[in-house]
Amino acid sequence: MQPSWLKRQIILDSGVDITNRVIKEFGLNTVCYSARCPNIFECFSKKRATFLILGNCCSRNCGFCSIARGRPQAVDEEEPSKIAEALLLLGLRRVVITSVTRDDMADGGSGHFKKTIETIRRVVGRDISIEVLVPDFRGADKAIARVIEAGPDIFGHNIETVPGLYAGIRPFSDYARSIGVLRRVKQICPTMATKSSLMLGLGETESEVVSVMKDLRQASCDMLALGQYLRPSPAQVEVREFLSPQAFLRFKEIAYSLGFKDVQSAPLVRSSYREG
Amino acid sequence: MPEVKMPDLGEGITSATVSMWYFSEGDSVSRDDDLVELVTDKATFNMPSPVSGRLTKILVNEGDVADIGTALAIIE
Repeated sequence: MQPSWLKRQIILDSGVDITNRVIKEFGLNTVCYSARCPNIFECFSKKRATFLILGNCCSRNCGFCSIARGRPQAVDEEEPSKIAEALLLLGLRRVVITSVTRDDMADGGSGHFKKTIETIRRVVGRDISIEVLVPDFRGADKAIARVIEAGPDIFGHNIETVPGLYAGIRPFSDYARSIGVLRRVKQICPTMATKSSLMLGLGETESEVVSVMKDLRQASCDMLALGQYLRPSPAQVEVREFLSPQAFLRFKEIAYSLGFKDVQSAPLVRSSYREG
Repeated sequence: MPEVKMPDLGEGITSATVSMWYFSEGDSVSRDDDLVELVTDKATFNMPSPVSGRLTKILVNEGDVADIGTALAIIE
């Protein structure tokens, strides 16, 4: 039984219908649906979605994530224009683009990210706000630079959890490498806003979380999102703790005191979620 | 007959548990009233009534699991 503060409202309105229809019509993937996000009704009702590019099969096998691991799919070269068309239909002025990890691709999928950003800018307009949430590209400089070159408004890469839990939660990833991705973004482009997120409730301690925040700030990370980990199915790791809304508020204060410019911290915050 | 159906709750989710009915058979319900609480592995949802009317039949009892798309109740 989950605590009451995690309960979400199912919304049956035209916004949800339209968003679902547009996504299906273009055959797009969203992390909202693929990751079984509990906020899906709220966001779809406002015609907001976070698009998952480069297929819906991941080359890694993280302990928290329900997205299938498997044989990577051929990249749909039309995906960038399909997303742009979908954004026009939905009338979105802000979008988050994320992807599965593609260790099988020489460029890690960074070229496809670039093409997606550029296509959205060309089709939807220069002023649409584009946030990307990228995989670690195995730390490859060229891949990071390629995405920056396309000029997203926010460059996100998620740390996900504290280093002590990486073995169980992100077994094929590396904490220092992920911090390094964010640091590298700022070295290449000091004006680029950077963002990272952590899931809480996986068994981390408060001091471990604060220590990650400090590492992120040392890498000049600007924005932080903290939310409660929720197990998508019995195949993923268990929730170790349900943190109270007050605990999230406390972390928010700590994060601001460490110098983050924008902090989202609440049980149902996800990396691409914004209230309002 | 206006059926209230189990909505799609995410990729690979084939069913959800009906954990609580907020009304009993015979009650009048208004559109958007919370009708039923649904639980998946990941989340707990309140589902509103899609229409106003009388809840004539509850088809899935509290504690039971129902597949996505199946009828949960009838409101006339």
